[in-house]
Amino acid sequence: MSAQRPGPGSPREYHFPRSVEHLTAGGLRIIVLPMPARPLASVQLLLPGGAALETAKDSGLTAALARLLTEGGDRHDADQLVEASELLGAKIGAEAGWESVVIGSSLPASRLAGILDLIAEIALSPRVPEREVERVKALRLAAIEQAHASPRARANEALIAEIYAASAAYSRPMGGTRESVAAISRDALMARHAALLGAGVPTLVIAGELEPSDVIRTVESSPLAQLRSFGLVAPTAADAASDTSAGIAAAPRLLLLDRPGSVQSELRIGKVGRSRLDSLFYAAMIHSEVLGGLFGSRLNRVLREEKGYTYGAGAGFEFRRGRGPFTARTAVESSVTAPALVETRAQIASMTLQPPASDELSAARQYLRGTFPLRFGSASPVAGAVAGLVAVGLQATELDRFQSAIDEVSEGDIAQVSSALEREAERIVVVGDAATIAAPLRDAGFAVEIRGEEGG
Amino acid sequence: MSDPLPIPLRESRLANGLRLITVVDRTAPIATVNLWYHVGSKDERPGRTGFAHLFEHLMFQGSANVSKAEHLSLIESVGGSANATTWLDRTNYFATVPAEWVELILWMEADRLGTLLAALDQVNLDNQRDVVKNEKRSSYDNQPYGTAYLELLALAYPKGHPYHHPTIGSMEDLDAASLQDVRDFFATWYAPNNAVLTVVGDIDEAEIAAAVEQHFGGIAANSKLPEHPNLALSAPLGGEIRKTVKDKVPDPRLHLAFRAPVLASPDLPALEIACQILAGGRGSRLTRRLVRQEQVAQDAGLSVLPFVGGASLVVGSATLRPGASAEKLESLFLEELARLAANGPTSNELERARALIESEEMSLRSDPETIADQIGMYATLLNDPDRINRDLATYHAVDAAAVQRAASHFSAENRVVLWYEPIEQAAGEMA
Repeated sequence: MSAQRPGPGSPREYHFPRSVEHLTAGGLRIIVLPMPARPLASVQLLLPGGAALETAKDSGLTAALARLLTEGGDRHDADQLVEASELLGAKIGAEAGWESVVIGSSLPASRLAGILDLIAEIALSPRVPEREVERVKALRLAAIEQAHASPRARANEALIAEIYAASAAYSRPMGGTRESVAAISRDALMARHAALLGAGVPTLVIAGELEPSDVIRTVESSPLAQLRSFGLVAPTAADAASDTSAGIAAAPRLLLLDRPGSVQSELRIGKVGRSRLDSLFYAAMIHSEVLGGLFGSRLNRVLREEKGYTYGAGAGFEFRRGRGPFTARTAVESSVTAPALVETRAQIASMTLQPPASDELSAARQYLRGTFPLRFGSASPVAGAVAGLVAVGLQATELDRFQSAIDEVSEGDIAQVSSALEREAERIVVVGDAATIAAPLRDAGFAVEIRGEEGG
Repeated sequence: MSDPLPIPLRESRLANGLRLITVVDRTAPIATVNLWYHVGSKDERPGRTGFAHLFEHLMFQGSANVSKAEHLSLIESVGGSANATTWLDRTNYFATVPAEWVELILWMEADRLGTLLAALDQVNLDNQRDVVKNEKRSSYDNQPYGTAYLELLALAYPKGHPYHHPTIGSMEDLDAASLQDVRDFFATWYAPNNAVLTVVGDIDEAEIAAAVEQHFGGIAANSKLPEHPNLALSAPLGGEIRKTVKDKVPDPRLHLAFRAPVLASPDLPALEIACQILAGGRGSRLTRRLVRQEQVAQDAGLSVLPFVGGASLVVGSATLRPGASAEKLESLFLEELARLAANGPTSNELERARALIESEEMSLRSDPETIADQIGMYATLLNDPDRINRDLATYHAVDAAAVQRAASHFSAENRVVLWYEPIEQAAGEMA
């Protein structure tokens, strides 16, 4: 074998698909992203106003509405709708986000007009049958119980409730809680739907092997052109932090959710993170890769490759319009719960104590730059990414500068991310067998509060 | 419908038996390198279940010129991503990088195929054994319903059959794995004449061929490559096998398995379309009946797990709605399967299934990783890489009679019925 590693050939440029924008007379914003050789197109209609607007009482309403949009409109019932879309080679789905509801579909570009009619129908005049409202509620309530039984989902849910204030939308799962879901009514859903059509700028994003002028003409002559635009949706206090002063006391508080007989412990450390609109967004992306994103990240290298505590360990920011959570997460064999938690905290702290070395930064930059074209090989992630930018109020062209923005991040920017993160209050959640792990965690210096099976 | 352009495959073979397939795709400046080795958990010997997968982990622990855990970090540091999977019939390794780095990946693959044992030591073995045991805990043992697929394999294939045990293996067998086992497994199966190398992307085919010859050409073939174990089975199970597992689950869940035709069988595409009509999304028969109309289930699924010998499996599942009757759920599920076998699909259902498959085919063709993996599979398991260009026509040729015939595999003489039921909660567990 040759010990000589091959170097690179000549680099080739990549450009994110260029967008073409058009505003209809009524105010529907159309963004077309032509992608040659991508005959499977993606269509995403974004209606502004998402779960970030919800209070504790109506939590889950937007998600329930999204599920019910595909239960038919004024011309097609649910079965007819799915049959009509499948005959086009398409599946229609609707999904709630923190800032919007998105109705989306992938289908052969040649059949675009047909799907626009169906999307317009369920966006403008959804049927929301009473019987399906009850079914969707019952299925969500069952899903809440399923999530409670999964150590992963239970840990994630408990952590956001620790990080954010009870009044903040980010403290709750987007699907809602037992109490709020049980209270959902058809009237409330229809009011939510009316609010969706009466706020912000509805935006249609279409990517694929398409000619922008053809697309714009097709949309203009479809019922989607009836959509109107209104003023911007104001930001909410969805990201208000919880106010307990944990982390300042000598012993860090740890919430232990008991799962008797568990053979592993799910570990979570969380803090209030950063907004997608933050000027340090790209620095925070690099920070995450170094700490807990790359396979060679600090957390995975130590917890998996050195210690063998886990199948994998990761950490990172979740970027939203408001300040989404920063989370470190792993699942470890029960007997090493305490040392694994101590090590995870140490690696987070190491980001300020031993700032990323140049090889770590270069690996993170190259990874983000190099995998960028890989993420956008087909139309669906391209349209999805642009819809995501629009939802938080960024330009559709933001991703054109992704690679240069990654290059421009300085070591000082990353140091700023690390030190700001260190100042945020730390929340710790563990799901595991309390009988096995509570004592070692106390011995390791944590103030352990145990909650039983039904504690919510 | 218009047929998509064929994917242009170029094939060659090195003197040591390594099969090379290249495809030029210039839609993005990336290249993917995909290696299939024809070895999987079916080739494990008794007392060493889980070994093929543990070995796959060791392939990332370094070789003569790559240090421990450097493999993935090196790929990340040039802007690529990589992974590997082990399954009953095979093991695959794949990496996608900016196109200018493709030769580095070829070199790394050759380095571990040629010199893996140079870096092997007890510390690495013990570390990856711990990692794999934690993978088993995370993905199976500590998840509600997580052991269902382990149970289904054990019930659908008789004791001693190579598909009876799962790829993740048992904790006991993982503990027993030794350095000598690693050396033997490597010497036996990891040989160029037991591999297919597929490179897809923004590449120069002549340059790739030359680089592959340079880096892999000196690796010796294994002239004594063993036969794979005998997988022969009687196609139907010959009765119903039934089991109930009490587990830490919130709601009862029904799992089903049926023996089915092998990967090479011309009947398999019709069976896949039958599963699409029964459980592919909201308009499917099972979802309409169980989830929407009768409201006895939270979800319903049915899909084919294709295997090369003996029998493939069709596996299904449905989670009971709280308060609904488990007996009713099971009888309605089976009734829908029987109805398709009795009457076949409607022309509307067949047309919808074809349209969705056509879209899926378009989606596949926009992803070099999927193209390479599919070619690797067809070359390794069927000796027919160009099958990727006939898939769509094969699916389109499936008619109603073929779907109806395929559904005959869902018979009472050929099924495993596995229920997961909640353990009754002991009182006083509140802390």
